[in-house]
Amino acid sequence: MNTHTHTHTHTHMNLNFPIDIDTLAVSKEPIAKLLNPRLSNPHLQIDENDFYLNVYDVASYRVQNGNNVLIQPHENSDEASIRLFLNGSVLGAVLHQRGLIPFHGSTFLYEGKGVMICGQSGAGKSSTTAAFCQKEAAFINDDITPIKITKDAATIIPIRTRIKLWDDSLEKLDIENTKFDQIRPTLEKFYLPNDAAFQEEQELHHIIILGKHNEGEYKSNELEGMAKFNTLRKQIYRKMYLKGMPEREKTYFKQLFNLANKVRITKVIRPQKSSIYDTKEYIKTILAS
Amino acid sequence: MNATTIDLKKNIMWLASYPKSGNTWFRMFLANYLKNDEEPVSLDEIESTPIASSPVDFEETMGFNPFEMGLDEVDLYRPDMYKIITQDTEDENEVFYKKIHDAYTLNTNNIPIFPAEVSIGAVYFVRNPLDVCVSYANHSSSNIKRKVKLILNEKGDVAGRKTGQLRQIMLSWKSHYDSWKSQTEIPVHIVRYEDMKQTPMETFGAIIKFLKLDYDKERLGRAIVNSDFKLLQQMEAETGFKEKAQFCENFFWKGTIGNYKEHLSEKQIERIVTYSKETMIELGYIDSKGKLTV
Repeated sequence: MNTHTHTHTHTHMNLNFPIDIDTLAVSKEPIAKLLNPRLSNPHLQIDENDFYLNVYDVASYRVQNGNNVLIQPHENSDEASIRLFLNGSVLGAVLHQRGLIPFHGSTFLYEGKGVMICGQSGAGKSSTTAAFCQKEAAFINDDITPIKITKDAATIIPIRTRIKLWDDSLEKLDIENTKFDQIRPTLEKFYLPNDAAFQEEQELHHIIILGKHNEGEYKSNELEGMAKFNTLRKQIYRKMYLKGMPEREKTYFKQLFNLANKVRITKVIRPQKSSIYDTKEYIKTILAS
Repeated sequence: MNATTIDLKKNIMWLASYPKSGNTWFRMFLANYLKNDEEPVSLDEIESTPIASSPVDFEETMGFNPFEMGLDEVDLYRPDMYKIITQDTEDENEVFYKKIHDAYTLNTNNIPIFPAEVSIGAVYFVRNPLDVCVSYANHSSSNIKRKVKLILNEKGDVAGRKTGQLRQIMLSWKSHYDSWKSQTEIPVHIVRYEDMKQTPMETFGAIIKFLKLDYDKERLGRAIVNSDFKLLQQMEAETGFKEKAQFCENFFWKGTIGNYKEHLSEKQIERIVTYSKETMIELGYIDSKGKLTV
């Protein structure tokens, strides 16, 4: 990775970025906001190739041309938090600027097939992926998965992420927490160590859209036709950025259309309170069908 | 913080209450009134008045996963979230009805969570805390003891866990009421649950006028009948209700007045009454001689 870090206030900052980029720099001075951006909120400004994000009490970030990231840590902020937003919302901006569609999904290789579990935050993407990857599957990405889409194939791009799990999920999966890194000092959510080498690019075969309801049963239905396209759009990570990137969004339409033709998409609704292993087993039957 | 870049429209009407105080019942009435149909609307149509503490709305509007943030940290963004979320409409006359169980509070930057700049007003529903306690204990399948504590807890809050809704600061029952009543930023219309039950035409009619909706007596009567509690219970039994917790039997349970007598101990009643006395007198739940009116 070609990374230049100039550390001032935060010396020796360890800012691994999940993908290779030209520059990743730390600034002591406040980062300039965008002039007349298309999308402008108090904490977020977006144009086609320029992005500014202010995470209060953590850091400000600017992303340009999908390759240059500038970070200004705020006073008294901690490194884990700076890294968490860098590897989440900021990574999302880099990928959108590159035109590599990031999906809000975790990915793994199961019985030779690329599987992506999508869903809203809290749906159970990470814990289900962790359950799969305990024995049966090989982990690829957690939470954010870029998919390269051509007319002929949909490919999962592996990035350097680790699975993030809450303390109670670790317990349910019988994983002993041997001083795992906390994602933030105040949250009982941890990075699962990933010793295995990162995967090669894999063809994507099946997307599971995971949701939950207040009933006791699992439900599923495989999508067809336009429903596939419409559902895929909703799975784009940080879709709201596209309000500031209308040209980029246009280029996504054809890709999503191709993707809808390439992969199977099944909606799975689990009970709000359900066992992680039950969810995994249920999804296995769908993948096998 | 500079919010001048958002073109603000005043288009939110808050439907505020402590839990189990008639908020959802009113939302069903409102859905019926707005639709103005002969047939009752289904429970699904209540989605037109969603809860304002949805983590999905937060993530999709602000670009952050709220479950990876501190509870107070999320509240730093909530005022802007409401400013942004409700401006995304072409219709100048559109009103966003938002259900909330939050007390009226400020975030750690001393900014009100509910921005007056985009608020038309708030309808505030209040119910006898003794009945709230019993109903609430059923609602979440937990025991009454815990709900008594919550009703008396000045730092009371709900949600804000690893999944589910954003954290909502409620304070105690009496402080929840006081917070909405005493703030001067947003015009409030206070409604007693008991009046919704006993004098529905007058009570719902007054809300319709506060909301500046066209007042029509026939339409009002029909919306009241079509959101009758027994009907809601029946619909829940037939089709289920999304806002119910998984292990709770039903959301629409009894909806009666004075039901607490069968469920709360003398001591529990005394604790709530002693703590909330002035507010209960103000609302007519206790008379001038200090006796419970129901």
